[in-house]
Amino acid sequence: MISGAQLAHHSICGGVAALGFGVLFNIGPRLLPWCAVSGALALAIRTTGLQLGWSLEAASFAAALAVGGAVRVAEHRLGVSRNSLDVAGCIPMIPGGFAAKAILGLFALSASPAATPDQVLIQSVAGALRVMFTIGAMGTGLALPSLLLRVRRPL
Amino acid sequence: MLAMEFGRLLMECGASGEIVDGVIGAAARGLGADRVDLRVGYASLEITIGIGGEGITRMRKVGAIGVNHRLDHEIRRLGGHVQSGTLGAGAARAELERLVRTTPRYPGWAVDLAVGVACAAFGRLLGVDWPGAGPVFAAAALGQAGRRSLAAHRVNVFIAATLVAFGASAVSGVCARWLGSHTVAVAMSAAVLLLVPGVPSLNAQNDILAGRPTLGSARAVWVAVMLIFVTVGVWLGQFLLGEAHP
Repeated sequence: MISGAQLAHHSICGGVAALGFGVLFNIGPRLLPWCAVSGALALAIRTTGLQLGWSLEAASFAAALAVGGAVRVAEHRLGVSRNSLDVAGCIPMIPGGFAAKAILGLFALSASPAATPDQVLIQSVAGALRVMFTIGAMGTGLALPSLLLRVRRPL
Repeated sequence: MLAMEFGRLLMECGASGEIVDGVIGAAARGLGADRVDLRVGYASLEITIGIGGEGITRMRKVGAIGVNHRLDHEIRRLGGHVQSGTLGAGAARAELERLVRTTPRYPGWAVDLAVGVACAAFGRLLGVDWPGAGPVFAAAALGQAGRRSLAAHRVNVFIAATLVAFGASAVSGVCARWLGSHTVAVAMSAAVLLLVPGVPSLNAQNDILAGRPTLGSARAVWVAVMLIFVTVGVWLGQFLLGEAHP
């Protein structure tokens, strides 16, 4: 079972990462703290989900759905447009490390005769699929609140 | 063409196809169009405006796509004013040009530091130990500064990504090893996470879900090629430090 300290560590790191990327995306200073909240919420839910034995894809989907729903509720109050706070909050969950490992594995497979090419191939393909499914789950989780609650709104 | 200008700028700010479609349509109708048929492509926009029984078709090239939330938000707000009829074409064009000129951005050094902190936090999430977190911060901040410099010199975005990935991963790896980190390889990967195209990958998914598979697929291909070039840079850095073999 995850400890409170671990959950806090992951949440804080997610919040800090979202805040940093909020600056990179030129999100206004007034909204930057909300970026951090969004990132912390996403990582807290994903970490809890993983500890409950969910797959990375399922945990990422749940986190993205929660962040997308929360931003959807708060967007008018905060005066923020869609596709900003929720994306910034979910950026820390993008599985860039898995993508790099998968591509490096494919490099290793093609560059020289590997000792266990079947294992390298399976690990690389599994990593690539995990990246695709995780990003797909996150994108779907973020989009669902808007798709389900689609109403005519001001721009 | 003014409505297309709204769309071009939104695309270049990293908006999804749905947003671009909505704002262009709203602006065009606010400026008097009866019918708007629009195609949002990755590198161009095409629109057919119908007024009465007449129609006209125009195309507009889209420039380099980045992410700029504040400008994105201001353009959407302006699009709303045009839609409601409170701004005419001349005033709207002047306001749009003013927004492009005056919408603030963070200073470059602040962005560099923020990206460094973000990547260090990413690194901790990936399991980088504390001696490795400092090098990740420094290497990512330097990498972001290098990326800005290369963009200013109009270096191809994929080549720039490889160069930045190589430099950042090498600096992070050397420093992490020198500081006694036990997670050198992870620190090298974490230092290049600033290059992972998160917004385009989520936009790709969103565009496909919203019924724009062509735009979404183009974005997905761009993301895949970018990841390959970033990985080549990391591999070169690992090869330099003896963490990978040719």
